[in-house]
Parts: sequence; structure tokens; C-alpha cells
Amino acid sequence: MPDIYTPDLMAVVGVRRHTPDVKSVRIRFQSQERASQFDFRVGQFGIFSAFGYGESTFNICSSSNWKDSLEFCFRKVGRVTEALWRVEEGDTLGFRGPYGNGYPMEKWEGKNLIFLGGGIAMPPIRCAIWYALENRAKYGDITIVYGARTVADLVYVNELEEWAKRDRVRVIQCVDPGGQTPEWKGEVGFVPTVFERAKVAAENSVVLVIGPPIMIKNTLPILDKLGIGAHSVYTSLENRMKCGVGKCGRCNAGPVYVCKEGPVFTMEQLQKLPQDY
Amino acid sequence: MSDILTKAGLRELAKEWIAEGKVVAGPVQTKPGLVLYAPLASADDIVWEGFVRPANSVKEFVFPRHELLCRYHLEGNRVELTNGEAELAAQILLGVRPCDAAALPILDHVFNWDYRDEAYNRRREATTVVTLACSSHDESCFCTSVGLGPQAERGSDVMLFDLGEEFEVRCLTDKGRALFAGKTQASERTAPLSKGPKPRFTPEHIKQFVDEQFASPFWQDETLACLGCGACAYNCPTCHCFDIVDEGNSQNGERVRNWDSCQFVQFTLHASGHNPRPEQGSRQRQRVLHKFSIYPDKFGEILCTGCGNCTRNCPEGQGLLTLLTEIEHAG
Repeated sequence: MPDIYTPDLMAVVGVRRHTPDVKSVRIRFQSQERASQFDFRVGQFGIFSAFGYGESTFNICSSSNWKDSLEFCFRKVGRVTEALWRVEEGDTLGFRGPYGNGYPMEKWEGKNLIFLGGGIAMPPIRCAIWYALENRAKYGDITIVYGARTVADLVYVNELEEWAKRDRVRVIQCVDPGGQTPEWKGEVGFVPTVFERAKVAAENSVVLVIGPPIMIKNTLPILDKLGIGAHSVYTSLENRMKCGVGKCGRCNAGPVYVCKEGPVFTMEQLQKLPQDY
Repeated sequence: MSDILTKAGLRELAKEWIAEGKVVAGPVQTKPGLVLYAPLASADDIVWEGFVRPANSVKEFVFPRHELLCRYHLEGNRVELTNGEAELAAQILLGVRPCDAAALPILDHVFNWDYRDEAYNRRREATTVVTLACSSHDESCFCTSVGLGPQAERGSDVMLFDLGEEFEVRCLTDKGRALFAGKTQASERTAPLSKGPKPRFTPEHIKQFVDEQFASPFWQDETLACLGCGACAYNCPTCHCFDIVDEGNSQNGERVRNWDSCQFVQFTLHASGHNPRPEQGSRQRQRVLHKFSIYPDKFGEILCTGCGNCTRNCPEGQGLLTLLTEIEHAG
């Protein structure tokens, strides 16, 4: 019987370097059978491994409509991500998943979508953006505000430009003050401030906000002022995980196991949880 | 009426089990002053008296501190994974304390909700638990505060009661009957009831406190002496947190799971450097929260059997009981 901790073997079919320390990798099931069985919801995560170095948890940042491969994106910060950094096309990686709840894309149908992301939080938003664009008729206006510390830290830049060309999509890029270059044409400022300046219509909107805790904290009062209730504001928690299946005892935020009941929560749900994330 | 077996008779039985290739484990004096549950090389190794309970727990026989999940082998850029499963011998845990036996059905919940953990289950199924009812306790014992007691049957396949030269044998499951069928004699002697330690706190009070006082300075104040060594968790019958790591080189090696503990700084440390539980107080709070609130909410049971090992093994003489009695008095 296959053990729940034994990963599927995946062939690396693409590697892309976004910044000096961020890469994304596309992988494909080596087993045809597994590939045909596999399905996931955008917003779910996987546990990815470089054999000999270990496992790491990342959002599956490709759209669930792309049947050919899965994608994940990471910053080089530790033992596993250093090993993943060296991966080339044709190499073999491990994958377990999909785990967690994912975004309620069906519930968001008929709404305007506001995506707010900071830094390495673009990948977990990107899968939802592509999913919405691939089901364009089901969603209203799409606003994307994405910022990073410097111009060099922005990821998926070419896709941001591609999204901006679509109908009823507004993309605002920004960098922290001091992070701009002479050629920079985007905004300068932090994501919450830039979002407030953009005067986005709030009616009938849901918000997905992912980024550093300080960015989320400063965004919430602005959403509140716009009249977007906490039940319509979603985020994805990033508690450290090992098993992904509710056993290893690590990812709980108070009473909830982020790997099973999350990682996607509304702010209304988070307000009821103790500050344990 | 009861069934009894002489102590010499049980020793002979244990010898037979070992000769049949079964793993038989029980309390062993590993060095002066230290009794641990360990596999018996010989049936004579087991110690029955002169200690309250072993310093470790029997969880390591169903959830080893270091366990192979799979092996990997790299050939160029191809990877081959092989299953780590070796044949498991039947194992008999002998002389188990009721507070250890009770932990096993409690652990069954977490290893089987939604995803079934076969690494755990196959060991669990191969295990028969022969429990010795307690005839003594010390100041660290608090089984009666969490709904158990010196003669609690939970998780046991067989209960033994010390009658001096004999044991009274009560078989509770088919697994237990299979071991002792035809080996005991009928007798008029039965073990008297024993009471165990006086209750020290009410679990409902603890749950209420930890749910309401999450941000209280209580946790940091009361746990300043904690070294974060994790001895409480490693010797706990119910603590089951683990880590998954690769051991080996970039060609050959093993993916293993090792025990971990919420008392360690790195346990919840994010890659970004953010740590939701940055100081020891928050980590101690997590241990109480998990045992007395989260687990009962999820699985309907307290994740603690009152064995007192966390206190006995704590280099600072703390452990759960210290905190829980503080909470009971803080009210």
C-alpha cells in the first residue's frame, strides 16, 4: 500500500529564474496513471522534495485548468530551497498533495476580484488570477495590486504585463520607496497605500490579500473603510508544515490545523483565532 | 472467580514468546536508578517492582523515534523509491502501566483522521498490550485528574494484577485471550480495588483557562525556568509531533520521520524568519492548549494520561502538573 508520506516522482519540465533568489519550477507526473487521476483546486498546496535534502511546502501556483504540468515558486533561503535552486530540466523531484482547502472560486463567481500581493506572495495569487481569466465570464472586474521591496524583487513580471492587456483587468505594480530604478514606470509606495490611492470600487467585491503580516495588517483598515467586510477578505496562511495531512502537530493556529482547515481563511475566521500564525 | 498465573509461569511464557520470534518488551533496569521500556533480550530482564513507572513510554513501539518512510536512489537524473517496509514481528508489551496503555487508543485518532498513517497502523496492529495495574504512585502521578486510574483498562489487551507470588490475569480482547488461553488457573483470589493519587485539577478548568487566557502573561511568567529541551514531549505517552527529513547523500539515502517537539524554537519558525511562537511561554502554552483544548475539540479526548513523566524527566522539575495545578489555583 502506498504510504501517505511517499511522494510521487515528478519530471522537471521547466525552470524560470525571476529574481536573484526566486525561481519557479514546472513539474510533470512520471506516471501517466497518476497524471490522469490528479486534480486540485487553486489555493491548495503541495509538499515538494529534492531527494537527499528534504521536503518543503509551497502553494501550487499554476492554474488547475493546466493539465500538462504543475508549478511552484520559491525563494532560496534554506537547505531544501538551495537544492531546488540547482534543479534543471529533466531532473526528478518529489511531490505530495494536493493538500488544504483552496480558494472558493465558485463562491466568488459574479463578484469583482481584488488581488493584493507583496513580494513572494504573487505565486499563490497568480493561480487564482489565471483561473479567473480562464473563466472570464464568471467574474467581474479584476484589480491586481502587486508590490515588492525593489524592482528586482518583482516576480512573474511578464504575466503582470499580459494580464494588464486583458479586458476589465487593472494591474498596479509598486515598489517600496527607494526600491525604484530610473526606468521604473509603476508606483512607488507600500501595497496598502498604493491600493488606497487607486480608489478601487468596492461594491460587490471579494479581496484576496497575501503578503508579509505587516502588509496585511495595514491593508485591513483600508478595506474596512471601503466597506468590504471581513467575511469577503481572504488570505492564505503560511504556518510551517511537515506532514501536510494533520498529524505532525506543527501548523495549528490555535484550534485549527492550517494544513487541513486552511490554508485559506477569511479575515472573519482569523479574527476568531488566537494570534498563533 | 478469577484466572491466575504465577510470576514464574509468566516468565516461562515470555521465554516462549521470545523463542517464537516475537518482540517482547517491558520495563528493564538499564542502569542504576533508570528503568525504561525496552525489548527484552531474555525474559529474566524484566523488572516488576521497585519503581513507579518507566522514564519513557511505550509509544516508541508504535511510533518509533526514528522511522524509515522510504529509500531513494538516484541514477543520473532518475530517482527510484523503494518502500521501507520490512516484515514486522508481532510484539508484546509486557508490564505496561495503565497510563501508557491508555495513550494508544488516544493516538489512534490523530493517525487515522482523513489520511490513514499506515506506518503507525501496522505497528499498532502487530502489538498486544499486557498491562500491570499500578500498586503504587508518586507525587508526579495524576491519572485520576484526567479520568484514568491505577486499574484503568483503556488500551490494554490484558490486565495483570499483582497478588504477590501470582498475577491475576484479566483478558480484555481476542488478542489478549490468544496469549493467555489455557495458561492460567482458576482461583478465588482477586485483586482489591486501588484508588491511585488524589485528583489535582479538573480538565474543564484547564480548557477554559487556556482558551480564554491565550495572551496572558501567565505563560511566560510560569515557564521562565523552561530550558526548551523537549524531555517532557519525548517521554510523554501521547506527544506525537514529528519532523520528516532526508538522511543520506545526493545519490542514496532515506526519508525518515523523527520525533519533534513544540518546545523547540525551530518548530514553528517560518522561512521568512517570522516565528508565531517566539518565546518559551508561547511554546509551553501550545503544549497545554494541544492537550487540553485542541485534541478534545477535534477527537473528544484529552491528550494526556496523567503519567507524570513530563515532571519526572524535567531538568527544572516543572512539567505539566506544575502548570496545571497553577492554573487550577489561578481558577
